[in-house]
Amino acid sequence: MRVMVTGATAPLGSAIVGALLAEPEVELVLGVGTEHRGAPISPRMVYLRADLTHRREVHDLIHRAATAHAIDTVVHVGQHRNPHDDGTRVHAQSVDSVRALVLACSEHATIRRFVYRSFANVYAQPHATTTLIDEDTPLELDHRAPQWLRDRVEADLTVCGYRGGSLQISVLRCAEVVAPDIGSQLWDYLSSRICFRPAGFDPMINVLAIEDAASAFVAAVRSSVSGVFNVCGAETLPLSRAISESNRTAIAIPGGLLAPLYGLRRAATGFEFRYDLNARRFHLGSLLDGARALGKLGYVPRTRVRWPRPWWRVLLERLAETRA
Amino acid sequence: MLERCAPIYERYFRVASYGSEQVPAEGAAILVANHGGTLPVDAAMLCMDILRSSARKRIPRAICDHFVARLPVVGTLLSRCGTVSGTRANVAHLLERGELIAIWPEGTTGPAKRFRDRYRIQAWRVGFAELAIRYRAPIVPVAILGAEESWPLMTKLGLHWFGAPYVPVPAWPVPLPTHYRIQYGTPILLGDDARDADDPEIVAAGAARVRAVIERQLQDLRMARRGIFR
Repeated sequence: MRVMVTGATAPLGSAIVGALLAEPEVELVLGVGTEHRGAPISPRMVYLRADLTHRREVHDLIHRAATAHAIDTVVHVGQHRNPHDDGTRVHAQSVDSVRALVLACSEHATIRRFVYRSFANVYAQPHATTTLIDEDTPLELDHRAPQWLRDRVEADLTVCGYRGGSLQISVLRCAEVVAPDIGSQLWDYLSSRICFRPAGFDPMINVLAIEDAASAFVAAVRSSVSGVFNVCGAETLPLSRAISESNRTAIAIPGGLLAPLYGLRRAATGFEFRYDLNARRFHLGSLLDGARALGKLGYVPRTRVRWPRPWWRVLLERLAETRA
Repeated sequence: MLERCAPIYERYFRVASYGSEQVPAEGAAILVANHGGTLPVDAAMLCMDILRSSARKRIPRAICDHFVARLPVVGTLLSRCGTVSGTRANVAHLLERGELIAIWPEGTTGPAKRFRDRYRIQAWRVGFAELAIRYRAPIVPVAILGAEESWPLMTKLGLHWFGAPYVPVPAWPVPLPTHYRIQYGTPILLGDDARDADDPEIVAAGAARVRAVIERQLQDLRMARRGIFR
């Protein structure tokens, strides 16, 4: 297998590249990112710098670099992360680049497989009653939703629209990967010392470790099955427990006050966390049903999430590790 | 939680259970019961009864109305007790996993009925019958006696807080310590084949059959009791 991975310099992309290189049947990994990078981590890896928001660069990447390296599988995980950004540039990165990439891949001579990273947020929960979300749950098509969400839904539907042709497409709708610098809303929420949560609600949340996310992508790359798959994490726990795991103080306040409070907080500190994007899941727990990914891809989540810790606890843990 | 609620089950309502051995010891099964009283105390007593007196002490997964999950405190509490919102996907998933689920097909029309209509089954949804046929799950009809007199509804306020169809006003602030009786019937296997679930007539006939059994059980229990507190 010869695999191209976009977003290869981001934490998830790096983890996928590492997991792919650990597979003996992977002959070559072509990493693509927007940043300059030093020497590749393996002789089986090639790194290329490309800005996928430019159609010409996408064309050249697929029809020149991918052809030269005889790439047969493309994994697209490069996504815009900050939910506060909007405008045409963000749309170009989140949607137009995906459209250009999947179109180019569908016309390519050697590329047979396209694996796309989507998100659990794309599911609509109009009545917020479904506890378990399977792949047939309707998507969020509300025009009043923030651009961050609308772009993700549009990109997901764009990729799904190319299914049925000669290109095998797998869309992995992942639960939230809780890790730093990955655009995780929960990580950002739990990074502050005091976490406000809606009074009277303590929903169950499912979180995905970055190692499990990488193993899901490897499973999708290795599989010959195409389709839409929910990728859930190994850990399902109440929100209050996630807060206590992170050694934070939870304060319950009426739900209606949380959006303005976190709006003020963002204005003061520049946090990425947006309460309006998370309001539904902070009130009503809905979990991804990962049965299809288990049955068809053989994906089993195993790794527990490393929650954000206060600096003194990280220091203590490192000291303990050093002693051990 | 179970131990804390035990005095309510044993001493306050003095629940008498008949035929709990009818509950399958394993595999998917559906308990279908009548519903009454201002708040679902009858549902809580049925779940307690299953936990305490059924042969294998199975954990019943009570299926609640959609709005319940949106209620502050109550939604979270019931969710922690194993209650699940009554969506098709949720119920299907539980049956696939071989769980024991409890359904009250009257929904909110049961607790909303007037005192003079007590133990008269109201609107009877048929979705449980379809799922029972599709997943070949036996239905155990359950009659619950005592809830209607314990905590009757005085009136309904037309407020739709948190998506609730109404705000109930009970006749008295706490339920009376009526003597609860729970009667389990013989399990019923509806339909001959899983494909019968797609036939609306078979589904409706199956649901009506279960309803008739519960009505007969209720009648028998009412005839046999000497008073609502005895």
